[in-house]
Amino acid sequence: MSIELHRISKSFGNFPAVQDANLTVETGKIVALLGPSGSGKTTILRIIAGLEFPERGRVHFEGVDVTNRSAYQRKAGFVFQSYALFNHLSIFENIAFGLRVLPGHKRPTKDKIREIVESLLEAVQLDGLGRRLPSQLSGGQRQRVAFARALAIEPRVLLLDEPFGALDAKVRKELRKWLRKFHDKTHLTTLFVTHDQEEAFEVADRVVIIDRGKIQQSGTPDEV
Amino acid sequence: MAGTVTTITARHHRVRRATSESLPVKILLIIVVVLFFGLFLAMPLVVVFHEAFKHGVRAYVGYFADAATQHAIHLTLLVAAIAVPLNTIFGLAAAWAITRFRFRGKTLLTSLIDLPIWVSPVIGGLIYVLLFGRQGWFGPWLAENDIRIIFALPGIVLATIFVTFPFVARGLIPLMQAQGSAEEEAASTLGANGLQIFLRVTLPKIKWGLLYGVILCNARAMGEFGAVSVVSGHIRGKTNTMPLHVEILYNEYQFSAAFAVASLLAILALVTLILKAIAEWHAAHQLKAGSKAG
Repeated sequence: MSIELHRISKSFGNFPAVQDANLTVETGKIVALLGPSGSGKTTILRIIAGLEFPERGRVHFEGVDVTNRSAYQRKAGFVFQSYALFNHLSIFENIAFGLRVLPGHKRPTKDKIREIVESLLEAVQLDGLGRRLPSQLSGGQRQRVAFARALAIEPRVLLLDEPFGALDAKVRKELRKWLRKFHDKTHLTTLFVTHDQEEAFEVADRVVIIDRGKIQQSGTPDEV
Repeated sequence: MAGTVTTITARHHRVRRATSESLPVKILLIIVVVLFFGLFLAMPLVVVFHEAFKHGVRAYVGYFADAATQHAIHLTLLVAAIAVPLNTIFGLAAAWAITRFRFRGKTLLTSLIDLPIWVSPVIGGLIYVLLFGRQGWFGPWLAENDIRIIFALPGIVLATIFVTFPFVARGLIPLMQAQGSAEEEAASTLGANGLQIFLRVTLPKIKWGLLYGVILCNARAMGEFGAVSVVSGHIRGKTNTMPLHVEILYNEYQFSAAFAVASLLAILALVTLILKAIAEWHAAHQLKAGSKAG
């Protein structure tokens, strides 16, 4: 499913975080939003997810205007920079969360939920750790739990905020490869935010460069 | 969890810091604290129980057979049973609004919540007399419709709500500020609606802080004297709460009976103290676990 932003502006007090931004992520593509910290890239991601609302401009998912829909109606898979795992819930329950809050007629049975969660744990190489708490996992493992949790709801798009920011170099490299492979398998429309050029060029089909709230440039890694 | 354990054991290692004091100063400080504690906190407590049991356990139990005393206990429990849940809801709503939203007048709201702490409780009670008393703004209308607020249960409940409303909100605001809203945001992107977020994410994270506020709120609700004194009218067996009843008994020279009722309030305070310590410990623990996992 494609994501389109039309002339989005958002400010916090007097600070213009995003100015007149246009951005398209085509269906099935993985796009990197590259910029220094404070450039407004995370704000754009949050606007797409419905966690912030723009002052001007529209957000479209697959041509449908979702600007006025709240986050829980948009169901964009979001992986937070700090992971934002539910610390009081086990890894299993973290991943199952999005399924448990579905309205009765859409909610899978308990056995089905178990099946889905187990297969996700396997997909992110965390099988057997379902009963642990987030505080008992390493940074890289938490990051993968955050991924699995976002994927459990079968999101239409995947939004990643500095997905590898807090990890050491080796784990970063591995997860980058894993993300690219995962995307090649699923072709889930993905937008990820990063300040790391290498990361953007290695993983993305297309790179969008943002600075001081304005989109500066956009193209394939070769073009940019 | 392993990290928490190591920090606790590390604290027990004796490290001589630049800020540590010499031995005589330490001893002096400890003596001052112990004396102060003994004189102002421990001794009164001992006196209360000593006076209450002066004529033996049977006499002590006997004081509670008095109808007016029983009524005072009932009334206190009833008032707390109304005021505490209402203030819990209010406190949750206020803390939620203040820590989760940006809006105009937030600073004003935050200071208004504290108002009952700076204002004398007597004034708190007087406000309601001025509003709902016979000569008050709504007095004539209330009299016409035969509604009694002042010198009746509604007045006592109103005054109690006024004095106790900061406790829950004040217990929650720092905790919720420290925890941030990242987990709530995550829940909303996963499709949880407001109520689901509150029940499944927010409430489990703040439960100990909430309990702490509720315990303090309850203690104050049961122990409040000033505000309730103004609106109650001290009608024996009708509008007397426990603290007011203690005063009446004392003024009637029924010292042992007064101290017996006072001892109940003292027990309430001790239980509150223990529960509060437990809740505080859990709240700090929860916050630490949260900040660690991020």
